[in-house]
Amino acid sequence: MRAEPIQPFTRRLPYGEDFKRNIARRRFIGHIWRYMFFSSLIIGMIALVTLLGTIVNRAFGTIAVQERVNPATLSEQPLEELSQEELLAIAQANLSGNVRRRLDREEPLEQRSAAELLQVIEEFVLQREVVKSWTLSETLFNYSHIEAEAAEQFPNARLEFKSWVSWDFVVRPMSRTPALAGIRTALLGSTWMILITMLIAFPIGVGAAIYLEEYARDNLVNRIIQTNINNLAGVPSIIYGMLGLAIFVRNLEYLTSGRFMGEGMGAANGRTLISAAMTMALLILPLIIINAQEAIRAVPNSLRQASYGLGATKWQTIWNHVLPVALPGILTGTILGMSRAVGETAPLIVIGAATYIVTDPSGPFSSFTALPIQIYNWTSRPQDQFRDIAGAGIVVLLILLLSLNAAAILLRNRFQRSL
Amino acid sequence: MKIMSDPDPSNRNAIETRAMSVYYGAFRAVKEVSFSIESQKITALIGPSGCGKSTVLRSFNRMNDLIPVARTEGEVIFHGQNLYGPDVDAVEVRRRIGMVFQKPNPFPKSIYENIAFGPRINGWKGTKAEMDDLVEQSLRGAALWDEVKDKLKESGLSLSGGQQQRLCIARALAVEPEVILMDEPCSALDPISTLKIEELMFELRRQYTIIIVTHNMQQAARASDYTAFFLMDEDRAGMLVEYGPTDQIFKDPKDERTEQYISGRFG
Repeated sequence: MRAEPIQPFTRRLPYGEDFKRNIARRRFIGHIWRYMFFSSLIIGMIALVTLLGTIVNRAFGTIAVQERVNPATLSEQPLEELSQEELLAIAQANLSGNVRRRLDREEPLEQRSAAELLQVIEEFVLQREVVKSWTLSETLFNYSHIEAEAAEQFPNARLEFKSWVSWDFVVRPMSRTPALAGIRTALLGSTWMILITMLIAFPIGVGAAIYLEEYARDNLVNRIIQTNINNLAGVPSIIYGMLGLAIFVRNLEYLTSGRFMGEGMGAANGRTLISAAMTMALLILPLIIINAQEAIRAVPNSLRQASYGLGATKWQTIWNHVLPVALPGILTGTILGMSRAVGETAPLIVIGAATYIVTDPSGPFSSFTALPIQIYNWTSRPQDQFRDIAGAGIVVLLILLLSLNAAAILLRNRFQRSL
Repeated sequence: MKIMSDPDPSNRNAIETRAMSVYYGAFRAVKEVSFSIESQKITALIGPSGCGKSTVLRSFNRMNDLIPVARTEGEVIFHGQNLYGPDVDAVEVRRRIGMVFQKPNPFPKSIYENIAFGPRINGWKGTKAEMDDLVEQSLRGAALWDEVKDKLKESGLSLSGGQQQRLCIARALAVEPEVILMDEPCSALDPISTLKIEELMFELRRQYTIIIVTHNMQQAARASDYTAFFLMDEDRAGMLVEYGPTDQIFKDPKDERTEQYISGRFG
């Protein structure tokens, strides 16, 4: 082995002034890239702020409220201060027979609380309705215009500031009147669905990842499986919806409708929470598997060797060392999957989530609706106020999503710290 | 199983290999190595990079099994039985023949749990107090007890490199092995930590058989009883060139290549 000396000053590399210019040019190129990256960030921020702004603009604003009947004609005191008995008397005196019979069927008036009776009186006796609504930006910057418009079109109406997002909105069920509609049914539906989805997808996904990383040999069959899992992660969600419709809703109807539990149990058909949850589980399985595989692969081999070196079996090594170290990474993938499942709409539409439903889901075998479906449905209604509650629904969906993520991240950080 | 029988006191050899070859796929990494390792002595395996000495070491406790393409031929005799025989379980082998790795690799758990893990997975039947005792004894055995006795609950990763390596030795001692394999245990350590490990090896020799792979010739010369010198042949397969008492290998090597290597003319 003999090293040949290199001839210096062959002028193939720049020196002196040449070199200074060269450095300046390299720096300049670096700066250009830096500003390009910065502007990408700015564009992203603008998009996000616009999105949030539009939602907030819709979810808060001014409303014009009009009542057919003046509350002063019913009682001398304000209705809010009356007791349950007084409200009951007003309701019984003023409701038409038809309406009373219908309400009694849902729940007898006598058994309703004061707040519920007040709502009944507002809806059916006073016939209070929101005749027009204005957005937050109009309220803030152009209030005189709102007043003029209201005075001209609805002389009997009074203007109120309205936050469409409110506790009432969260706990009230669906209604045909936008001002009285709530999101409870959809919120419960989404929560149920995500719980069942995670119960199905997490163990199956992590199990598949463990098998592929720790047990599977590197042969043709396993490589085909691996490739297909990667491809499945990119399949459009509507296709999973079709799959869910064909298999869970139609073929497995006897199981997914809950009829196997006995006559009269469960829903009328397979369009139930369990069908939706299983479809969502299929949808996020590739995501969970791929992320869990990455996490397991990132566990240093020295750790496995240390465990084997002490006479641990394969399973003891996986359970005691590989999984605890990989868990934070596995949970990261699970968080991603969960967020995706909460926000997915297309598969639910195909599966046939109900768009109008007032009864809360009572278990995996009840028909249901979910937040994105409810929001989608509201945005396509003709009345303007449904757009406002759609905005409020989006706020609730975002809050649900962020709190689910926060919970999962807290969980992950706890595991990370304990290492 | 036979290998769980007590060692035969008349047999001076802890491990004996007979024409052992190791293949990685089609590539033969180690070619027909035959030698015997004496009980309760320190045997050093030396040689240039890629000569197969680590592969030989790992074949003693079947760690090569973890590499899917690896295959071993010939015999490795332990307690009169071939470790690669059909009825021998690698898990059992590794309990009797422990291992310390090149880079300290404590588990990301507390110091206590690092020691307790081995006995637990091997079916520990004692009480909590007995486990405390075992942890203390193992740490004392690895000359680490005084440094960590007040922080057993702290992570094993919070220790210095040298302490981590002694923790790994203590961890290996806790499952009561007969042989301890060390794969360049000091290559990631500073000279003072290295010295401590070497002193520890001398202590451990009274009870255990130690086989150590080292790149450091001085370490082999001062810290081992026997030395085996490995070299690659023309096919890049590792082979045993010379084996004997360390004094003889370093002062009066029989083979010309050994002499060249230990005098630093190649490698």
